[in-house]
Amino acid sequence: MDNSLLGIFQYVDDLLAAAEKCKKSGYGITIISPVPLVHEIEHTFGESKNPVKYFTGLGAITGYLFGTLFAITTSILYVLPRSGRPIIAIPPILLISYETTILLGVLFTLMGFIVLALAPSFKAKEYDVGLAIDSFGLLVDGVRENKFGDIEKVMREYGANEVKRIEKK
Amino acid sequence: MDRTITYKEASEDISGIITKTGWKYYAVLTLMAVSAVSFLFLPWAYQIYSGQGVTGLNAPVFWGLYLVNFIYWVGIAHAGTLISAMLYITQTPWRRAIARGAETMTFFALFLVSLFIFVHMGRPWNFYWTMPYPNQRQIWTNFTSPITFDVFAIGTYTTSSIVFLFFGMIPDLASLSHTATGWRKRLYTALSFGWRGTDRQWHLQAKACMFFGAFIMPLVVSVHSVVSWDFALSVVPGYAKTVFAPYFVTGALLSGFAGVLLMLSIMREAYPVMKKYVTAYHYDKVTIFVVVLSLIWSYLTLMEVVTGLYANTSQEIEHLKYKLAISPFSYLFALMIFSNSVLPLLYIFKKLRNSFFGRFIIPVFVLIGMWLERFLIVPNSLSRKFLPWMWHDYSPTWVEYSIPIGALFFFISMFMVFIKVFPIIAIFEVKEDIGIPMRKSH
Amino acid sequence: MAGFLERITERWKVYREPGFFKKLDHKWTMVIDLDKCNGCGACVLACYAENNLPVVGKDECAMSRAFSWLRIERYIDGEYPDVKVKFIPVMCQHCSKAPCETGCPVYATYHNQDGLNVQVYNRCVGTFTCATYCPYDVRRFNWRSYKFEQPLDHQLNPDVTVREMGVMEKCTFCIQRIRAAKDKAKDEGRTVQDGEVLPACVQSCPTGAMIFGDLLDPNSKAAKLAKSPRRYRLLEELNADPSVIYLKRVMKEGPSKHG
Repeated sequence: MDNSLLGIFQYVDDLLAAAEKCKKSGYGITIISPVPLVHEIEHTFGESKNPVKYFTGLGAITGYLFGTLFAITTSILYVLPRSGRPIIAIPPILLISYETTILLGVLFTLMGFIVLALAPSFKAKEYDVGLAIDSFGLLVDGVRENKFGDIEKVMREYGANEVKRIEKK
Repeated sequence: MDRTITYKEASEDISGIITKTGWKYYAVLTLMAVSAVSFLFLPWAYQIYSGQGVTGLNAPVFWGLYLVNFIYWVGIAHAGTLISAMLYITQTPWRRAIARGAETMTFFALFLVSLFIFVHMGRPWNFYWTMPYPNQRQIWTNFTSPITFDVFAIGTYTTSSIVFLFFGMIPDLASLSHTATGWRKRLYTALSFGWRGTDRQWHLQAKACMFFGAFIMPLVVSVHSVVSWDFALSVVPGYAKTVFAPYFVTGALLSGFAGVLLMLSIMREAYPVMKKYVTAYHYDKVTIFVVVLSLIWSYLTLMEVVTGLYANTSQEIEHLKYKLAISPFSYLFALMIFSNSVLPLLYIFKKLRNSFFGRFIIPVFVLIGMWLERFLIVPNSLSRKFLPWMWHDYSPTWVEYSIPIGALFFFISMFMVFIKVFPIIAIFEVKEDIGIPMRKSH
Repeated sequence: MAGFLERITERWKVYREPGFFKKLDHKWTMVIDLDKCNGCGACVLACYAENNLPVVGKDECAMSRAFSWLRIERYIDGEYPDVKVKFIPVMCQHCSKAPCETGCPVYATYHNQDGLNVQVYNRCVGTFTCATYCPYDVRRFNWRSYKFEQPLDHQLNPDVTVREMGVMEKCTFCIQRIRAAKDKAKDEGRTVQDGEVLPACVQSCPTGAMIFGDLLDPNSKAAKLAKSPRRYRLLEELNADPSVIYLKRVMKEGPSKHG
């Protein structure tokens, strides 16, 4: 069940057409490209979900609360009056929490991205060196051995230069 | 952007900047590193050993050239952030080829910013006391202090800039890791975190970049206004001005854009292959920014002087007299106006934008002019505070001249090392600029 | 739950109190009668001796790095024979709303329960912010490690630290003497009496131009003098609320024969 096929294309519209066809047949597809094809893929398959925003929102809220509480608690832990101002001075708290909102927002976004997109996997991944430079790949997952020929034919039909079979035990 | 360039060519050109290294590069790098050590690190060691007494600082003028350079480098850092964050959000096409270089400048400029904080301190070995952390002294930082604002603002700024720079580099590093050899391969593979370029990864990368852009853009405004509050939150005439936040931010962007122009021009001369990617089109766009910022800056400079003049308090008048009417400073003020307000206007002539004069001479003058702006604010205002008995002039010593010059050499040498390790032009963004290959042309 | 909320709001009110102290233990103040000051400089000398101030020499003084915590400013009006000379001793004004205290990121300078502006040398990291923000320019910095050569080290005051290089310092109103007087009063189970605390400058003033006392004690000499119609404070328009009160010198109109 884990077998997959990697078709290598030179043109993006060919690739998208092949991908659409495979997806309609019910296969899991992954498009590998050296440049972002976000708009083109959205155009073909519709918008996909963006879970990073939850991390960002969580980070920003955490940052704001952290900044506010941090500025308040640390100033009352060791009371040192200065300049006839209250120990809990509001304007600096606003400023500090502003900065921590941004800081934790950024860090949580990065964390979310790493978790969602780059989560380390110790299995070797299907790849081709050209996919980092100038060709576009269509990876079709979950192909039964007897269907290899069909899928390869579809890819060739749509203009794939090369089709690699990846069999897994 | 030349659309006839192929993807392969772009990849090879840009990785060529990293790998093709001639003897000239090593000669210049050695010269810069030696200069950095002898102008920056040795005098600094001398200053740490003998104390701040080796500087020309004195009782009213406690903030001198080090603080000037601190603000100056924060300013230089700003253009990189603006180009990479704001222009990303608006999806401006001309940012793609120059954003990475500008971000790199931000990164190293912020490095120098922290360096100048340490250089400026009386007891730099205790610098970490300004950061909030649980300690055996049970004392935290004073949140009403503008210096603590600085610690938070610049800390956030540095962290976000590093994240943004390296985050944007992940696809490029993954791409390079396939062709590189030796330690480079190991480094790129480790730093690319297993990036393959799948549709999901690209999608999330674009979204995350948008969030970074949205978070970092307010920092462009907040960081330099926080730096300006080091001055504006005091009572000193010449410091306590409400116009300082926008004035500093505009000045920062002006100097930053001039810095980006100069950096690009030097890089293009050093690596002629860059001329393919950074073209007259980019100069057109960046110089327009310089003209606009220069006009805003001129207006705010006028306001800074005029508001002081109209307030007409004796302190303000003394401060303005010292700044505008006394021999060395009046000439410096005139030079500042000439190089920041007059010279950049020449960019409205299209021919000039792409001439040697427009690419090298005007940016250098703007950079000098912006340095003078900070110089005319920081030590000069302190020379004429409230009680005339304590009025005293400030004349920097050789240590204070040497350390900023050495810091510039240090900046250049770090930058030179960086371009040999990481791609200075974003490969995937350049490819995006070239256009996505389609069999049927639209 | 209600009790908890009440406690929180109560603490919140305490911490939102401007200046934190509802009532200070003392409000040390110095009244300087400029009519009596003849600019002799005895106070400056006494300050050097009491507080272990280094003598920095000609070159450093020319650079305006003299260590005098207390200085006598001389202002001269007019051309030689018709001159008016004014003296004004200026030391740290111990402002209640001190501009310097907000500047320090590490709490090296703060306000204590005696109404004094305190400098903690060990906390100082030398950002110069306090000195820059000070409108009176009374803060002094240890530009180098100043050595007290033999036999000068024998005359150092044991009650006062010798400061390290890279540390900011300023007039303390001779806090070591205030401390000693408070300790003695506590041992004897009484409050500090008026005139018990004498900073070095006050003690050495030959004309008695400087009077030191507690402003909260209405019967103290300083509190009575503070109500004088000649009273003014230095740069009062900056709203720093200084603790040092000057009594204006009354001068004759027109040219005078001597200062």
